[in-house]
Parts: sequence; C-alpha cells; structure tokens
Amino acid sequence: MPSRNLGIAAIVIVLALALLPLSGSRYALDLSTQVLIYCLFALSLNVLIGYIGNVSFGHAAYFAIGGYSCVILLTTYQWPLMLALPAAIVVSGLAAAAIGYFCVRLTEIYFAMLTLAFAMLVWGVAFKWKDVTGGDDGFTGVLMPKLLEDHANFFWFTLVSVSVGVALLWMICHSAFGLTLVAIRENAVRAGFVGVDTRKMRWAAFTVAGTFAGLAGALFGMYNRGMYIENAFWTESAQVLIMVLLGGIHSFIGPLIGAAVLYLLQIVTNQYTPYWPTVLGTILLIVVLVLPDGLTGLAKRFRIFSGS
Amino acid sequence: MTKRLLMLIAGAAVLAGAAVAQEPIRLGAMYPLTGGGAIYGVPAMAGHQLAIEEINKRGGVMGRKLESIERDDKMNPSTASATMKELITKDNVHLVVGGLSSAVGLGMSEVSKQEKIVYISTIAKTIQMTTSKLHPHVFRTASNTDLEGDTMAMLVGKYHLKKLCHLQLDYAYGQDLEIGVVKALPIRAPDAKIVLTLKPKLGATDFNAFIPQVMAAGCDGVVSGLWGPHFVSWVKQASPLGFFDKIKWISGGEIAAHEIAGELKGEYPDNVISNTYELWYHSIDPLHKTFQEALAKKLGTNETPQWAMLGYNGVMFAAAAIEKAKSLDSDKIAAALEGLTVNTPVGKLTIDPKTHQANTGQFWGPMVKKPGKDYRVMEPVEFIQPKS
Amino acid sequence: MTLPVFLTNVFYGLALAMNMFVIASGLNLIFGVLRVINFAHGMFYMFGAYFMFTVTKSWGAPFIVGVLAAGAGLAAIALVIERFLLRRLYGKEHLMQLLFTFAIVLLMSDAAKMIWGTDQYSVGYPPSLRGAVQLGPTIVPQYLVFLCAAGPMIAVAMWLAVDRTRWGRIVRAATQDREMLAALGVNVPMVYAMVFTIGSALAGIGGALAAPRIALAPGMDATIINECFIIVIIGGLGHLWGSFLGALAFGFVVQFGTILVPNWQDVLPYLLMLSVLLIRPWGLLGRPELSR
Repeated sequence: MPSRNLGIAAIVIVLALALLPLSGSRYALDLSTQVLIYCLFALSLNVLIGYIGNVSFGHAAYFAIGGYSCVILLTTYQWPLMLALPAAIVVSGLAAAAIGYFCVRLTEIYFAMLTLAFAMLVWGVAFKWKDVTGGDDGFTGVLMPKLLEDHANFFWFTLVSVSVGVALLWMICHSAFGLTLVAIRENAVRAGFVGVDTRKMRWAAFTVAGTFAGLAGALFGMYNRGMYIENAFWTESAQVLIMVLLGGIHSFIGPLIGAAVLYLLQIVTNQYTPYWPTVLGTILLIVVLVLPDGLTGLAKRFRIFSGS
Repeated sequence: MTKRLLMLIAGAAVLAGAAVAQEPIRLGAMYPLTGGGAIYGVPAMAGHQLAIEEINKRGGVMGRKLESIERDDKMNPSTASATMKELITKDNVHLVVGGLSSAVGLGMSEVSKQEKIVYISTIAKTIQMTTSKLHPHVFRTASNTDLEGDTMAMLVGKYHLKKLCHLQLDYAYGQDLEIGVVKALPIRAPDAKIVLTLKPKLGATDFNAFIPQVMAAGCDGVVSGLWGPHFVSWVKQASPLGFFDKIKWISGGEIAAHEIAGELKGEYPDNVISNTYELWYHSIDPLHKTFQEALAKKLGTNETPQWAMLGYNGVMFAAAAIEKAKSLDSDKIAAALEGLTVNTPVGKLTIDPKTHQANTGQFWGPMVKKPGKDYRVMEPVEFIQPKS
Repeated sequence: MTLPVFLTNVFYGLALAMNMFVIASGLNLIFGVLRVINFAHGMFYMFGAYFMFTVTKSWGAPFIVGVLAAGAGLAAIALVIERFLLRRLYGKEHLMQLLFTFAIVLLMSDAAKMIWGTDQYSVGYPPSLRGAVQLGPTIVPQYLVFLCAAGPMIAVAMWLAVDRTRWGRIVRAATQDREMLAALGVNVPMVYAMVFTIGSALAGIGGALAAPRIALAPGMDATIINECFIIVIIGGLGHLWGSFLGALAFGFVVQFGTILVPNWQDVLPYLLMLSVLLIRPWGLLGRPELSR
C-alpha cells in the first residue's frame, strides 16, 4: 500500500477517534483509552519480533518501569506531568538499554529466556521495594494533573500520545535503520558480511522497543490511577506477545489490530460467561488454524479476492 | 439528571403504593472464577447468588428487584479495576461487592474512591483498607488481619505456649497478619516468645527448605497464616516426619474449613487449632440453620463451603443499606452503612461508623477426630466475635 | 549449617530436582525436536496430577496404576492434539504454534474446571511410602527417597531409548535437520507425533508423582511451565543430560537459596538462569547452533 494512502487513512482514523467524546459514553472512552494503550504496547514489542526476529518474553518489564516511574514521580515527588512523563520514558529507555546490552548477545530462545529472567527481576524489585513501589499492595492514589482528571481530556491526551508514538515507530521502522533491521531478521550472517554491526543494531532496536513500551506503561499507570506488580509479571509479557502474534508479525499494523481484538475479546467474553477461556480459546484456535499470518493475513486474503 | 428523575419517579411510585414493574437495582459482583483464586471465588459467588435469589423472593429492595451483574476479576488488580469501571460506566451498577486478595481489594477500593460508588469488600482482609487507605465509600464485611492476629495471640495464651515459631506467607496478607499477631502477643500471651520467623513465598508448593528449620528450633507452638493449598502442601511434606506430634499449630487463614478437613480426611494432622467463617455441621441459631439448608439445596451437598457465607453477607449488607437509605445515591448508601446492623446467619453484625469494618466473627477451635466420621471436626466450637 | 542439616538439604534439593526433571525432560524432548514452545506443558502436568486424583482416590486404584494412567491419559490427549490440530501448523509461521498452545491452555483450564470443579484435592502417599526413613545422619520421608530413585531411572531409560535405538537415532537426527531426514525417507510426521506424545506423557507422569506431596488446585499449572523452561534452557537445548544437570542446579539453588536468601525466593530460578546464560550463552551442555 502506498504510504501516502496509509498516512491519509491514519489521519482519518485519528480524527474519527478524536470525536469519540462527543458520543457522551464514559464506557466507550474508557475502553478506547485502554485499547489505545495496549496498541502502542504491542506495536513496541513488534519492533523486536517483526523487525529483528527476536521474541521477547519479558516486554512487560519496560511497560511496568515506565508506569511505575510516571506514577511515583507524579505522586511521591509531585513532579508536573511535563517532567514526569518524559522522565518515565527516559527511565524505561535506559533500563531497556542496560538490559538489552546483555540480551542481544544471545539469539532465538536463549534471547527470549534471558529477557524473561530480567523481567522477573524487575517484577521482584517492584515486589520487594515496598517503600517506593507499594509492593504487592500496589501503588495507588496517584496524583493526577487537574486537567487530565477529566475523562475526555485524558482520552485526548492518550490519543495524541499514542498517535505520536505510532507515527515515530512508523518512521523508525521505515527508515534506513528499520530496513537494516529487516535485513538482520532475514539473514543475520549476510547482514554481518556487508558490514552491519548486527549486535549494535539489535541493541538499538531493543532500546527503542523498551522506550515505547515505557510510554505505554506511563499512560496506563495514569489511566489506571495505579500500578501493580502483576503489570510486570510474565503473564503480562505473554499477553502482549499473544496480541502481536494474533495480529500478525509481518506487517506494521498487525500488532495494533491484534491488541485491539484480543483486549476487546477478553472483555466481551468476560461479560457473557464465566467460561470465557473456552470461548476465547476456541476463537484463537480458529484464527491459528485458518489464518497462519494472524489477523492481517485475513485482510491480505480479502484484498486478493477483491482484486484491489 | 436522568438518575435524579428516575429516583423521583421511583419515589412517586412508592408513595402511590403501586406495584409497578420498575427498573431493578443493579449490584456488581466480582470474584475470581478462573485460575488459582477460583477455589474461593466460585463458592463466594454461589453465596452471593443465593442472597440475591432470597431477597428477590421476598420482593426485592424498596419494591424493586435486585439484578446481579457478575464478573470474573481474574485475581489481577488491573483487570479488576478495569472491570469495576466497566460495571460502573457501562452497566450503571449502584454498588459493587466482592474482591479477593489484598491487591485486588485495594485496587477496587481505589476505583470506588474515584467514581464515588460504594464498594463492600467481602473477602480481602488487609488492614490498610480500613485504616490508612480508608475513604467514605469503602466498607468491609470480611474479618481483618488485626482481629485474626488478636485471636491467634489469645489462643497462644490459652494453650500456655512459650516458644513460638512464626510462619507467614511473604506477601500483603501474611505481612499484615504478622503485624497483627506480634502486636497482640505481649497483651494476650506475655510469656510467649517468638524464636523463629519464616516466610515462604505466596504460591509455594515445596516447603522442604522450611520444615527442618522449624523442627530444629524446638518450638512448642507454631503460629501460622498458611492458608488453603499452602497448608495442605505443608501437611503432606511435614507429616511423614512426625512434625505435628509435638507441636500446636495455631493458624489463621481459615484452615479449619471443611473444604480442607473433608479433603484431607485421615491426613489432616493432630494439634491444629484454627478458624473458619462457617461450619456446615454446626449452627448457632435457627436463622443460621435456615441459611445452611438453603445453601445445601442450591449446591446439592450438605458439606457446603465456608466462602459462600461471605458472598451472602455482602449482598445482605448492600440490600439493608439501600433499604435504610431509601435511595440509590452513593453518599446516602454510604451514610446508611455507617453503624448499620444486619441480622446475618452468623449473628448480628454491625459496621463501625469510624473504621467501616463489620464486627464479623469466626468459628475457632481444635480439629479433632470423631467416632464414625472419616474427617476431622472442630470441637469444641467457639464463635469469637469482636465487640461492636 | 551443620553437616547433618546440610546433607538433609542436599537430599531435599535432589528430590525436588528429580521431580522437576521428569516434567522438564518431556518439554526438552518436544522443544528439541518440534521446536514448539509448548505453553500447555504446565497444564499437562496439572492434568496428570488430577488424573492421579481421580484414579487413586475416586476409583481406589493403587498408586502405580495412577501414575501409569496419568501417563497414558496425557499421551492420549497429546495424540489427539497433535494429530488433529498441531500437525496443521508445522509448515506455517513458527511463532503461531505459541499462539496455538496458548489457546490449548485456555481450553484445558476450563475443561479442568468443568470436570473437577474448583475445590482443592489431596492424593495420599502409597501405603508403603508413607513414613520416614533414617538416611545416614538424617531422617527423611520415604516418598522422597522413591522420587530420588525414580528420576535417574527415567533418565537412564530415556538415554537408552534415544542413544541406543534406531528410533532414538531418528529423533536425534530430527533435532538437527528434519528436511534431510524426510529426504532419507523417514516418516517425519510420525516421529513428531511420537515425540509430542511421549513428552506430554512425561509431564503427566511428573504431575502424578508430584501429586502426593502437594495440594491439587486450579492454578497449579502456572509457575511450573517457566521452571521447566528454565531447566531445559540452563541445561542446553535438546540435551537429555543437560536437562538432568539443569534440574539438579534448579533443585539445589531453590533449596539452599530459599534458606539463605529467603527474600529472593520468588526470583531464584530466574537468577539462576540469568547467571548461567550470561556465562554460558548456550546452556551448561549446549553448543552454539548453526545459523539458520
């Protein structure tokens, strides 16, 4: 798809979403806010999976670091949002850079397990550092800037932040840097032969992924008015990984679709039956068996049939 | 605006004495129905449903039916917060009950604070909810860690234990209960001394790192907060070594419940003195008996689980508060809950207007063998209820 | 720590390691050959324990029948999953298998809830292994002595099967190069089906062996899967003896770590994996893989 058309489509979608508060439904606003945050979270993970071909089992760590940093700075230290949010993003970026430095020495499953190990350490720190994080009681009672206490305002703020995040990721993934990453995914040895420092490139990608996960986490902490150690637990990392896989890893927008679909499915199934795992499991099974490329594979198929 | 209008109409209808079909009163209920918390959440939800059915059979509240909107909170505080917001903004519930685990309880309490909707916590025991993190719209009908710790200390004194080993799970509930016990010991059992404190992790299944340490410490008593599966795993790993032969095991965490005694049967160890919210084979008065029979009918077994009582009482308090407030306004319901007394199956419970804590009692006693029964029963049963 | 206390803890670490090894060896086999990250392995373990409960407690069968039934039950479930579902995914995007096993976890967790409800259960020790036994300077439960013996027996049996039989050679070849194997006329789908079945049966047997010493309750599948992966990874992928070594390291680190640094007991397995991977990136016995 030509990128100009895509750009226009993106702008139309964002503008349409911006009108949502006019509907007057608090529920629609809340739900959209959550979905937007998870979309950014999933998209940030796909920088690793889709572009360098490394699966992370510990991506929730950076989400949690961003979230905890933001709510702690806002509440404990009473920083203004204009400082707390950038600081949270920087902290999660630095954490990703530090952890990524070790992780990118490995590949494949060993890489994945090392990211898991580090993420569980982050979880352990959040658990044990009770004075700062609130431990397993969670960090609640977040002090929000007056302006963002209004639900519509917070929705707009999230929409703008996520849109900027997605746009930046788009540019990064389609820059020379992004193309190099794809080359590494396709054949790391060959990319090395033509002079690409693959480890450094993967390290950079890891840091980018962690930074944007941190932004998503910071937004989540503010939306949720709290952070909990469960946000850093491996099940959370698994959840976002499932979102990416469901959407499809070979396209830029796949994770966005996957995140929205999985998140909404979880919520809707829970509304109808305590046996929601059966319903959700069956849907996932059908998707896996019928659509090997995830949900974006469906879109592609449809496009082939419609001949456009 | 529409809410107020509706209420006006409701008021008019009541005045006219007309039994017009009205919009029901919506009660949100959240318990873990999947995963590890389901052991407690599923029976609690059954008790919740029983209470809803009974109240509706009696004609509802203020002449309006109760509608129960039930969700799985997945025992995850973020999921629980989001789900509770959904109940409030999408389903327009008037009140929310439920929540298991300290973090989920505190998370739901936070939503209740923001949204100004009354939340009655029915299982979570963390003391913070009714102390440092108290706010006008949160109430608790569960027991709490201070009450539990105080009773445990009292039992230490009663059995003249001197050298104690202290076992608590290393997470919110265990830490709070530890504080409760340590606070009460000097008053209730001045002779007792804690010689060893160990804290296994939440969800631990292997206690072999701890059992030898306790056995080597030479304690005559253990005070413990190991609940449910933790206690069972400890028993299975320690019993072959004769662990329970010479130690009194004084425990919170409701391990005297029949769910555990009935499952462990002959494996249930000697010398255990513990608590439970409910004992199906023991009733304190006819009202209690009626409740037990109704629950047995609903669940299809006489050996009913203790957690149903907590779900049941949560609804009873919610209904009584709305009835007393004669309104669905959150502030009025909250005001009605303060000092409210409800005649529950386990006695009259009153919510303290200052702490928002109900004086919920528990059954305490030693677990003994009885001829003709293949499971242990509590005997003598003592119902210990804090004064209101 | 006095010597008897030390030896007691060595023994407990060993017992834990052997129980974990049985489960992890199944995962190692599946991952080594199929390259499927089987999220459902923990659920297979839980089903093994629940089968044990039903067969020994509800039907009153002896202990050994329960263990065999758990193995057979999981083999049957695995065969159905492999034959009708998983098989369709081999040729497709590798990672989709992970999504697939996640769906299996969801479906099986609900199935367990429908079959067994949400109560917790207890399985008794076999009558002959109920007590304690003097072992050198310490007294330990008899059942753990049995576990310590069962682990190496299964390890040796697997080693003989994989190292000394024609089938074993094919399996080892499949971990290296499956295209070549297919080209040589080996029925690769058959090999895959057998590996998945046997690996899953081991999870079931591991669950059945663990059952007498723990509470059986919903959610018991949750942490075991990570611990198994940790054992497989620190041992070195596709190495039977690597997993054995990994299980030992896991058992001792958890046992002694819990005593010495109780504050960190939640993350001990992860700390272990972290240190191993930073020093030996391919695990204790693993070798760097050839580039894809």
